[in-house]
Amino acid sequence: MTELPPNPLLEGLEGERRAPPCTLVVFGASGDLTARKLLPALERLARRRLLPTAFSVVGVARTEWTDEDFQAVAGEVVKDAAAQPQWTSLIKGFRYVAGEYGDPSTFERLRTVLDDLDRQRGTGGNRVFYLATVPGVFAPVAEALGAHGMARPGPGAFVRVVIEKPFGRDLPSAVALDDCLHQVFNENQLYRIDHYLGKETVQNVLALRFANAIFEPIWNRRYVDHVQITVAEAGGVGHRGGFYETAGALRDIVQNHVMQVLSLTAMEPPVTIDAKGIRDEKVKVLRAVKIFSPEEVSHNVVRGQYERGWVEGEEARAYREEEGIGPDSRTETFVAARLCIDNWRWAGVPFYLRTGKRLPKRVTEVAMQFRSVPHLPFPPGLARGLGPNALVLRIQPDEGITLRFGAKVPGQAFRVRTVSMDFSYGAAFVEESPEAYERLLLDAMAGDPTLFIRTDEVEQAWRICDPILEAWTADDAPLVPYRSGSWGPPAAERLLEREGRAWRNP
Amino acid sequence: MAQPVAAQGATGAISLLSVWSDESVKVGEVLAALDELRRPEPMPPTRTSVLTLVIVAKQRAEAARAQAAVHELGGRHPARVLTLLFDGDRGGASGLDAELRLLGGEAEGHQVWFEEIELQVRGQASMHLDSLIEPFTLPDLPVVCWFVTELPDPEDPLLAAADVLVVDARQFGEAACFATLLTLARRQPVVDLSWARLMPWRSLLAGLFEGPDFRPFVTCVVRSEVWGRTGPCRLLGGWLADRLDLPLSAFELSAAPHVGLRLHARSPSGQAATFEVIRGDGRLVSARAAIAGGPESEAVLQLPEATPAWGLPEALSRLEHDRLYERALRRAVEL
Repeated sequence: MTELPPNPLLEGLEGERRAPPCTLVVFGASGDLTARKLLPALERLARRRLLPTAFSVVGVARTEWTDEDFQAVAGEVVKDAAAQPQWTSLIKGFRYVAGEYGDPSTFERLRTVLDDLDRQRGTGGNRVFYLATVPGVFAPVAEALGAHGMARPGPGAFVRVVIEKPFGRDLPSAVALDDCLHQVFNENQLYRIDHYLGKETVQNVLALRFANAIFEPIWNRRYVDHVQITVAEAGGVGHRGGFYETAGALRDIVQNHVMQVLSLTAMEPPVTIDAKGIRDEKVKVLRAVKIFSPEEVSHNVVRGQYERGWVEGEEARAYREEEGIGPDSRTETFVAARLCIDNWRWAGVPFYLRTGKRLPKRVTEVAMQFRSVPHLPFPPGLARGLGPNALVLRIQPDEGITLRFGAKVPGQAFRVRTVSMDFSYGAAFVEESPEAYERLLLDAMAGDPTLFIRTDEVEQAWRICDPILEAWTADDAPLVPYRSGSWGPPAAERLLEREGRAWRNP
Repeated sequence: MAQPVAAQGATGAISLLSVWSDESVKVGEVLAALDELRRPEPMPPTRTSVLTLVIVAKQRAEAARAQAAVHELGGRHPARVLTLLFDGDRGGASGLDAELRLLGGEAEGHQVWFEEIELQVRGQASMHLDSLIEPFTLPDLPVVCWFVTELPDPEDPLLAAADVLVVDARQFGEAACFATLLTLARRQPVVDLSWARLMPWRSLLAGLFEGPDFRPFVTCVVRSEVWGRTGPCRLLGGWLADRLDLPLSAFELSAAPHVGLRLHARSPSGQAATFEVIRGDGRLVSARAAIAGGPESEAVLQLPEATPAWGLPEALSRLEHDRLYERALRRAVEL
């Protein structure tokens, strides 16, 4: 195939990260994720003119829909269709293939549709297959795509597969899933999505650390006393009870979101901010996380389950009273852990993690708590309001950065107390932050895997979580209740108190 | 001293929190009043200005249009706004009337606030506007000078006080204006609102050439029709001439209320294709690529409302030299 000439008209355009012509094939097109996240993300990309002109979406699902049904669902993404003509024009080209994932004819029809689109719209044989399905379908869909000749790209074209978490439910099942996918696709075709990485503020951890000279020199055991990572949700399990019973907070949040935030916070400076540079360093720091023995699990990890209480002014049921949950469920809805990173930078600095449902509010943050000054020259009575310095990266909501430091209280006495210096994204930038799925969909189409998870990252994260899961299988492993609307069970407080520390109030 | 006045309701996305005005004042008095104004009760929210914006205008109505544009951005781009109004009579006695407004807005749940300083400059002082900028600039922030109605003379000392100039080529048409713009743009970053507003046309056209079917035609455009108001039309033509390396003879420029373009291409094998980006009567821009006997591709785009701020946020987000714009200007001068 002759090489295409460059397009000189693209230079200098906003959103240099434009996707080339392609077709996005969504498996699970009639499902919740497609309606709630993928279609709205596509609509925003269309509004920002970041989708290629030669572009289409093919939905695949078991639901007996027609092209028109799928287009109608896509149309519901915008409240006022007349006000969004680019979206209404775009979705007219959306196609839909109804069929069972185990039925070869589904994939034969899909292939015909894709070939038609290449001819009519010039999508050039480029495909992104998005598996927005239950995990059990990943392997059969991958196999069928291979069997029907859709896994390998034509000359000059690309084929990529986007996979949603969970990537297995422990290390062996993750390895088995990867083995299955690798039989059909190369690793560089696989885009494992963790939407946390698509969040602007998660990416900003890298900007803060590696674009500034003043933070990195103190980002180590010499200055940092400890690190707190909080991923709190105010909601309960809602209608996801059935799924949640098979997962729990450790699998649902810690193994992926928390590990990603931890690795970006603790990793060494990468040589380059690209896929290999960043992912190599993330894997390296995950490898340095100390693996717990069963005894260490009971000492360093707290698991809890919410009971009745009040959250955000509303009465909340206990987890065991939720829809689809048994009265004797031992699934954890809260995890607090004290991890150690055994490397030169972090030896001796505890990383405290906590995540849970039905906590007082929805908040995700990373707080670097710095060591206290070696000597306080003020009379103790005048420095009561002084706490250690902290740098807090607020990931959601209210994205921004807070620096806590001591300042003199105005007045005759030399009283000092801690004050906060706040930076808010919303107030400093005119640009609207892209939503996580918007960013990640565009990256997958543009072929940038930097914010996707490589197979070795998945395995390292399971290596950390597996011993905890294993220890919890014992019947007498403690599962402590906590009141809905509290910050978790008292045992989580004690995890820090015994070392003379305390959780922040985010 | 400042005499805060109760908020008088919202101005677009922001609210007027307090106001102060006086006639025949000195800069020191204005600065003192500004200090007082920054103490709203009961507690001042964080000020998060990202630039000092200087609006230079002869008429109050022109300045008001620019101020309205800034208000429209609301809390999304808080700036200290200094408006310098001066009349044509530079021979009379120097004098300064000032009005200060404290404005509040909200950005993603955060209160932000910023000040608007309006100075009516009389007499000889209007020949030394540069001396009025420095006292009001915020430390460490870029100073952006927006020339609302006319291009400054490249030798105007006011330019030395500015890091970035904002202009709008839609108000100009003659080749001479483009030559002045080019001189200015070579010296310091120029942000042209017309250039920012042309982004959808450029983006749509560039997108039409994407993909293995359409891309080969990007090197064999033979004729280019561009229409619209003189300023944007020339700018778009200049961009095409530069990017596609087209000779002037390949261009047909014509006047029209809205900007549009159509490129005719012919491949070495003789296959013809057209690429067009056309704005209809409304605010819909449609783009279409068609290869004779081959695939077609279409896209439409809804332009934002034609408010005073159209193009401003995009323009203010890039306060640096835009080499592409400068190259487009150079070719626009020739067209």
